[in-house]
Amino acid sequence: MKTNTESSPAAVRPLGREAMAAIRECVRPVIEERLVTRRGVAPLRREVLVCHGGACISCRAVPVADLMEAAIDQAGLADQARVVRVGCMGLCDAGPLVLVSPDGVYYPRVNEDLAGRIVKEHLSSGAVIEEEELSWEGPDGEMLRSREVPFFARQMKIALRNCGVIDPGSLEEYIAADGYAALEKVLFEMAPDQVLTELKRAGLRGRGGAGFPVGLKWQFVHDTQGDVKYVVCNADEGDPGAFMDRSILEGDPYSVVEAMTIAGRVVGSNQGYVYVRAEYPLAIERLDASLNSARSSGLLGKDILGSGFDFDLEIRIGAGAFVCGEETALMNSIEGKRGMPRPRPPFPAQKGLWKRPTLLNNVESWANISPILLRGAKWYSSIGTERSKGTKVFALAGAIRNTGLVEVPMGISLREVVEDLGGGIRSGRPFKAAQSGGPSGGCVPAAAADVAVDYESLQELGAIMGSGGLIVMDETTCMVELARFFMEFIVDESCGKCPPCRIGNRVMLSILERITKGEGQEDDLGLLERLGEHIQLSSLCGLGQTGPNPVLSTLRHFREEYETHVRERRCPAGQCRALLTYTIIEDLCNGCHVCAKACPVDAIGGEIKNVHLIDQEVCTHCGACLTACPTGAIEGK
Amino acid sequence: MAEMRNEVTEEPAGSGLIDAQAPEEIDSEAYRIVDRYVSEQPGGQEQLIPLLHRVQEYLGYLPFPVQEYVAGKLGLSPVEVYAVVSFYHFFTTTPRGRYQLKVCMGTACFVNNAQTICDVLGDLSGIELGGVTEDRLFSLEQVRCIGACGLAPALMVNDEAHGHLTPITVRKIFRKLKSAARKEKNSAGGEADSENKH
Ligand SMILES: Cc1cc2nc3c(=O)[nH]c(=O)nc-3n(C[C@H](O)[C@H](O)[C@H](O)COP(=O)(O)O)c2cc1C
Ligand code: FES
Repeated sequence: MKTNTESSPAAVRPLGREAMAAIRECVRPVIEERLVTRRGVAPLRREVLVCHGGACISCRAVPVADLMEAAIDQAGLADQARVVRVGCMGLCDAGPLVLVSPDGVYYPRVNEDLAGRIVKEHLSSGAVIEEEELSWEGPDGEMLRSREVPFFARQMKIALRNCGVIDPGSLEEYIAADGYAALEKVLFEMAPDQVLTELKRAGLRGRGGAGFPVGLKWQFVHDTQGDVKYVVCNADEGDPGAFMDRSILEGDPYSVVEAMTIAGRVVGSNQGYVYVRAEYPLAIERLDASLNSARSSGLLGKDILGSGFDFDLEIRIGAGAFVCGEETALMNSIEGKRGMPRPRPPFPAQKGLWKRPTLLNNVESWANISPILLRGAKWYSSIGTERSKGTKVFALAGAIRNTGLVEVPMGISLREVVEDLGGGIRSGRPFKAAQSGGPSGGCVPAAAADVAVDYESLQELGAIMGSGGLIVMDETTCMVELARFFMEFIVDESCGKCPPCRIGNRVMLSILERITKGEGQEDDLGLLERLGEHIQLSSLCGLGQTGPNPVLSTLRHFREEYETHVRERRCPAGQCRALLTYTIIEDLCNGCHVCAKACPVDAIGGEIKNVHLIDQEVCTHCGACLTACPTGAIEGK
Repeated sequence: MAEMRNEVTEEPAGSGLIDAQAPEEIDSEAYRIVDRYVSEQPGGQEQLIPLLHRVQEYLGYLPFPVQEYVAGKLGLSPVEVYAVVSFYHFFTTTPRGRYQLKVCMGTACFVNNAQTICDVLGDLSGIELGGVTEDRLFSLEQVRCIGACGLAPALMVNDEAHGHLTPITVRKIFRKLKSAARKEKNSAGGEADSENKH
């Protein structure tokens, strides 16, 4: 990725504390301008922030930014405006997303055409292109624009504080945004004990899923004797449909690097590893770049900032195994072995990587460390609920209107997240359920969506906080099929070491398969429940222990749906293909022949411009025609 | 993972495993990559996964003779290397196609009907999941979340993401790739390469 400060001297010469203070003084005002909304006053300079998160890049954000740069030059505006390539701004659905500051104007879905207009109209004359500005109708019919829309207005950003605000390739911008101030504090002002006390008081709990208190974990590793200790960041993010950790690494890699350095100092470690999944090439690239410039600036390596403390980091790339997100399996993988979990105890804090005391946290947990140490435990613990402090990042996906990333204070209701921030269901159909925690998690039905988002409340409902993937579903998702999907995932990913997980989950899968094929038996549901409970109790690691969760939670909240499959051989959501009969609604069919082309088995016949017909004998119930039909004339029931 | 494990039990570990592989010409640069890596990076087993990544990045797959070579260089037995290769989904012992079709089966894509997309591609290419067409033009696989959930259902063709797919649009994409490949073959030069970026 192109960065705005490629030739910046900050990135090549070791920095001292004074140089960092100077950067903060000069550059901070620039960063602060990006956070304000100030219209009507002509600013001296404008910045155009172009989102370069993974999603926006796949919607052509790079050429759009290139084009704007060229257009700015051409229009002779180079001293009044510049393009900044920032990390994920959150609203992935509207990519490529562009923010013009300090006007605080968001432009969604910017193509080459609009990019040119933004330069010509907005940057040249200061006139906001109102019809293209991000806007939604508010609850009382008023027009909300840009930062006023609930998606932005209702968020509270701590872990994502720099994502979408700074150029992730610029160490200078990170420092200007208070970066490395926490490390300085830890190196020169605070004793390790003070840091530990502060973290424990803050009440931060691990964001990787289990919610273990971060301060306590640091304390254990600190207290264990050992001349060699390791610090590890878990960036395996295996939950399919979750992208919080990826966005943090892509959008603000230094926040993780700084926090790990702090931990090294506090627990007495000189070497850390970041374990990133191979599917995230952009995150790896940006993290690697940040390690290199931190090293050449004296913020990693020997004698950091003249404190005498040495610390370095290495990246380890995963190789596609979900179980490697489990901390002990992850350590085996770093050691170059098969990623099989180890029995615990001994816990990683005692015997982790190469049998040395090891501190392991999740990306989002790391991203919270510096703000806590800078602003204090009192501030942090004032956010959230009694037992769940701070904020949580969620990746919203599925049938929701605003696919993307949000950070909200703990304790907000799930309904607010889905309906207000997420904009509700895209299709306009009723909201059916939200699934959190992926293959280890459970679902919350719409009726219970007023539940507060905190570790305990979600657990009571049989769901979990999980790492933050939130898949929202409308009534076209079948909960039995969803459970089968997750169980297939677990079976595929089980490492095979312990029998309850290896065999038990496979048996559960075959039961679910027969139910979705319409071959379920009356006692299948009870059998699923008994099996699930046994597997939870007897598996070796978290994968098996939590594998049955999606099945048990859907059984708990959507039992009638299972019963309809078993007793009536019917799928009310219309998703279990083997249970559907496809017919063409004559009034809607315009004879375009698209369905016949889409049909893989040539079961559909008819002349062009005449009503078509499905041969039920040949039909394999695949549903391809249903998705293909442009007029919605095919119905599966 | 499962099929791999069967393979291990059917074939005794050791060189029998390697003989089972049809003789295949292996680009000798792969061996030089191993040599270079080992001389730059000290260490044994902990260098195995990074090294395998390097080799697969170059060759596209990990043929057995190369695995055996890696084992020798790192002081491991061949079966220790194979155990790792077979455990991780990312490593493959079969060559991929010129166009790797990777259908996302993450949760977001799943609830947006990704199965249909996969079926249509299987139908068009005539191969099963995990397979390669005989002309090595296409390989088809399912992957877990490619991080384009906003574009669900999504497909990666090599490193390029395509989103909001319907059976009609995947057909178009497939046809475009096929004709691009044909042109490439005819002109037997590199010019056609730029045309399949759309
Ligand atoms: C099967 C399984 C998969 C996991 N995957 C991840 C993951 O992808 N990312 C993650 O941070 N934690 C994952 N975890 C949780 C880790 O084991 C560990 O609890 C966590 O990374 C600790 O960090 P934290 O305390 O900061 O949350 C997984 C656990 C299990 C059992
Ligand atoms: S689930 Fe397909 S891109 Fe995330």
